[in-house]
Amino acid sequence: MARSDEALIDAHRQGDATAFGELVCRYADSLLGYLIRMSRDRQQAEDFFQETFRKVHQKAETFEGRGRFKSWLFSIAANVAIDGMRKQSRQPKMISLNQNNDCPDCGILESGTALEAEKSTNPFQTAVLTEQKTRVQQALTQLPYRQRTALILSYYQGLTYKEVAQAMGCSLGTVKTHIFRALKTLADLLPDFQGGTIK
Amino acid sequence: MKKHLTKDQLIKYQFKLASTRQSKKTADHLAKCAPCRERLEQIKQKFTALDLLQDQPCATEELISRTITQAAQKPPVKISYFRRPPWIAAAAAVIFLAGGLLFVPSLRRSHTSKSIETAETPATTEKIFAKAEKTPDRLFVVEERSTKEDLPVTDIKRNVEGASAKPDMASHSASDKTAELVTTIPGKPPFAPASNIELVTLPRRENVQITIYNSADLTLVRERRNLTMKKGWNWLQFMWANTLIDPTSLSLEPQKHTDKIHVEQLTFPPRLQQLGRWLIKSQVSGQVPFEITYFTSGINWRAFYMGTLAEDEKTVRLQGYVRVSNNSGEDYENAQTRLIVGKMHLLDEIAQLARREFPYGRKGMGLMDNYYLGDQPWSELEVDKSHPLPMFKGAPSAKLKEIKKEGLSEYFLYTIEGTETIPNGWGKRLPSFEVADIPVESLYKYDEDRWGGETIRFVSFTNDEEHKLGATPIPDGNVKIYRQINDQGNLSYVGGSNIKYIPVDEDVELQLPAAQEVKIEPKLIDLQTENYVFDSRGDINGWDELRHWQVTVNNTRTLPVKVEVTRGFDTAYWTLEITGGEVVYQKHDATRARFTLEVGRRTKQIFTYKVRTYHGKREEAFREPLKIAFVTRTSEIFVSEAEVKNRRRRSFNYVEDDFWPITMLTEIAAVRSKNEFLEVPKEFLCRLAL
Repeated sequence: MARSDEALIDAHRQGDATAFGELVCRYADSLLGYLIRMSRDRQQAEDFFQETFRKVHQKAETFEGRGRFKSWLFSIAANVAIDGMRKQSRQPKMISLNQNNDCPDCGILESGTALEAEKSTNPFQTAVLTEQKTRVQQALTQLPYRQRTALILSYYQGLTYKEVAQAMGCSLGTVKTHIFRALKTLADLLPDFQGGTIK
Repeated sequence: MKKHLTKDQLIKYQFKLASTRQSKKTADHLAKCAPCRERLEQIKQKFTALDLLQDQPCATEELISRTITQAAQKPPVKISYFRRPPWIAAAAAVIFLAGGLLFVPSLRRSHTSKSIETAETPATTEKIFAKAEKTPDRLFVVEERSTKEDLPVTDIKRNVEGASAKPDMASHSASDKTAELVTTIPGKPPFAPASNIELVTLPRRENVQITIYNSADLTLVRERRNLTMKKGWNWLQFMWANTLIDPTSLSLEPQKHTDKIHVEQLTFPPRLQQLGRWLIKSQVSGQVPFEITYFTSGINWRAFYMGTLAEDEKTVRLQGYVRVSNNSGEDYENAQTRLIVGKMHLLDEIAQLARREFPYGRKGMGLMDNYYLGDQPWSELEVDKSHPLPMFKGAPSAKLKEIKKEGLSEYFLYTIEGTETIPNGWGKRLPSFEVADIPVESLYKYDEDRWGGETIRFVSFTNDEEHKLGATPIPDGNVKIYRQINDQGNLSYVGGSNIKYIPVDEDVELQLPAAQEVKIEPKLIDLQTENYVFDSRGDINGWDELRHWQVTVNNTRTLPVKVEVTRGFDTAYWTLEITGGEVVYQKHDATRARFTLEVGRRTKQIFTYKVRTYHGKREEAFREPLKIAFVTRTSEIFVSEAEVKNRRRRSFNYVEDDFWPITMLTEIAAVRSKNEFLEVPKEFLCRLAL
């Protein structure tokens, strides 16, 4: 029977060498997905991913077990991502000469498009889908960090509002306000989506 | 309805952001108000776009391993910089000079004490090292280290013999940086780790050799990697996700210290699909070259040929190419590539083996499987041991790469010179051979049973020395034929064809498209029936048919052509007589005759023939008497010249034990009566010279 997150973190604190690895494996995809949505850059998301788990490893002693481990993990990840992106925004942006300028969003867009491309052999559909995703991703990026965090955690990562509040270290009402404002903004930014295509 | 719901209210309701009371109020309103319901639907539709980003990306194994390793390390020391006022540098310089003049003796003393500290450093290092030895490595990621440079090697002896022993790097041989252990290794192997802790992951390949068995969609991969072994038991992880590697064919062999390193088993951990872990018992520590061998699918090669006919169409220049395609899911860099020409038999399809959820087909099977032990490694099964893997041969030369060809048991081996990088999804075409002035024959064939009313052109030659070929078999592939139309070397496309595998000394016949300039037209001139035979009741039960045919061959080309006309008669009982024209014929098979003739340039030639076919009882008039052999149990064979009235073929079970001397009968027909004698076909009697 699989051990719970809390049992694993407890085992890790007791010196069980395998427990931490199991936690990383368990949340790898979910956390990476969150970080890619936050940062729009897979490379950067992987850096945040490593930094998050490094902090989890170091701060394991401080996990009190009052909330769920998942909320705690995402709270660290959210802080890492927000700090990282703020730092980055202060630095001049470097563009790789090898980067494909047609598709700067090489994170989830790229992986998702690759999957779609496998499913669909129609290059036109693939191109349309890529563009649609880019537009949605751009809309998300325009949200302030905390609104984006709240929305991604609840909508994509499946956390309840209460868990989001724990992860963000604020009250339930604040989370709802963040999400409401995010949705309100998105309602204006998102393209009309009808019948599988965006108008 | 007094007032409609606002957009904000609808969003809050849809995403459950409103209070319970407000939600209930909104729900009540929506139940009654159609326009608001419609607007809610629009909002839902709007936010459907968010689902486009629902795809969950996959964290790579490498990222997870790196994360676990990095998390275990101490965080880097942060260095904070501060902006120095310009005067600080000047002040510091003054203080430094003043201090230097005043405290030179002190400086000397401090230098001495520093030397002492430096002298103590190895001991300190030793302690740190000893501590590191005691702490189990969380993850052995060799991948991150440079594979081109040997890793610094640890002399484990010094830890065992006493902490005071200093590391003596000078006594180490530069060539062999692997240190031996004197400690004993626990006999009981550790349990397979459930996670990636304490694993040696595969570093990059040092070199790789791929042997492509095209006929079976099978490629043998032999790759060499330098693995860093530590004392005792080592787990090595190998993943084949998204590739077409057959996990049941995996083999691992050390190339050095073979007596001190034992690959004990290959396990397939549960829940972790498409990865295997080797358990290696090592008596040495350091970097050891290993050879990993496995079968994969998805790599194939095809042969292509370009034939250029001379202007007189009597010779052809043949150029051969091979194209190697890689769809195996794995990139092969700087791979020595070898191609196998020939058919082989496989029990399983490698691609199917690779895609199985469990390596041995069923859940629970193959876990902790010891098939590896005592099994002959693939590398020994590999047919060619005379070609060691070439190490990196350096930059590719400008000249065309040679493809070396050699015979190999049942197959033929083509080795591409040097190394090739074939990334996944890529193909690469390489020249194979070029032979000029091969004598060829053009032949125009007409056979209604095969090509209807079309005349098909064939170009043929033989794969032998006389035709400047014959060194190797010619692999099957696509041939494109061109013809040189003038002295300037301009070409015209004649047609394309597929050829099958052509062994040495065998004929090659290239089929080209239907000829437009050579037309053949058979015409039935006359039909008669005669020689009727009647049964006892007076009904017809036998007759002959006599047909008179005229065949017109019209050659509008500027070259004379050779023509072959095949005519079928739908019965094996026929006789034929040429009645006009310069043509010869021969019996092609039981029911067909083949006419050959040469037609001059821009000439129409006509030949005629009469064919008599026998039907019903008249067939007997056509037959010759059949020799009958009676074979007894004592192996004596008697032959009778008597004609047998009942000529129906009788097939019975052939019992080899009873008639061992006539085993060859199976090659012809196993015909046996139940009365201990056989009816032997005439051809067999001839072969035995009875």
